[in-house]
Amino acid sequence: MGSSEEDKGLVAKSLAGDRDAFGVLVERYAQQARRVARAVLGDPDDADDAAQDGFLSALVKLAQYDTRRPFGPWLMRIVANAATDRRRRRNVRQAEPLDPSLVGGGPRPDAAAIRSELGEHLRTALGELSERRRTAVVLFDVEGYSHAEIAGILGIPEGTVRSEVFHARRRLRTLLADWKEQGA
Amino acid sequence: MKDSQAFDHRPDPELGAALRAALEPKDDQKAFVTRVMARYEQTWDRATVPTLDVLASWFRPGIAAAAAALIVGFLFGRTVLAPAPASFDTAMAPLEGPGLAALVTASDPPDASVVLLSLVEQR
Repeated sequence: MGSSEEDKGLVAKSLAGDRDAFGVLVERYAQQARRVARAVLGDPDDADDAAQDGFLSALVKLAQYDTRRPFGPWLMRIVANAATDRRRRRNVRQAEPLDPSLVGGGPRPDAAAIRSELGEHLRTALGELSERRRTAVVLFDVEGYSHAEIAGILGIPEGTVRSEVFHARRRLRTLLADWKEQGA
Repeated sequence: MKDSQAFDHRPDPELGAALRAALEPKDDQKAFVTRVMARYEQTWDRATVPTLDVLASWFRPGIAAAAAALIVGFLFGRTVLAPAPASFDTAMAPLEGPGLAALVTASDPPDASVVLLSLVEQR
């Protein structure tokens, strides 16, 4: 990921209508946005749709971005909101609880074949956590955001972020430890 | 990996790596970027429509609606607030009674037939 100053330069160019500059921003944050959206939604296809919604929404709102702050958390907030909106719409459409298989990305034999068993377990464990808890732990341990930044992204107090990360970690670490014991 | 009961302010690299692998998209990033950028122009156009253009598009319907509201208001006010013309029954009332007063104080001129009829009755 590029530096904060580079991001600001790219944002300024994007605001001036530089398509390529916006393209670089999308490249820089694509994987992160897709992972965060997947942490919220579970299903990888839905996650990509949400990440795309997030980038395009960010383009529309780019003039509102405060350049004194880092770009990543601002973008991730938009992506997380896009994913949450999509999940709500999906829940309304389905009007029933999430199918646990969706958490692993759905019963797609070709994709399932290339996933590790540990990955499946982790995705299932993530799916059992609340949306806020799993998003918080992914933003902290995978994406490296601070508690304060995550508080800004999720719109919750910093203390709540610490608590959510703590509880999520406890569950996931237990699963990871069990996995290692079985493998040993 | 760290003690699961410990409260740690630092990211856990082992858990982070495992989660990253579990959430990592398997397909090409380039395809995703291409897909997003395919909608760039359409979204950019939406993002850059000047506010004045939006206001201008509202101008004509706004003026028409305001004019219609003005006309309706004028007609309504005229109907409700203007005093009713003296009725035939009022005019036919005894001369000393309210009929005459209504006839005299009415802002609109009374109908000629009413006045004539009133005079005939007085005889």
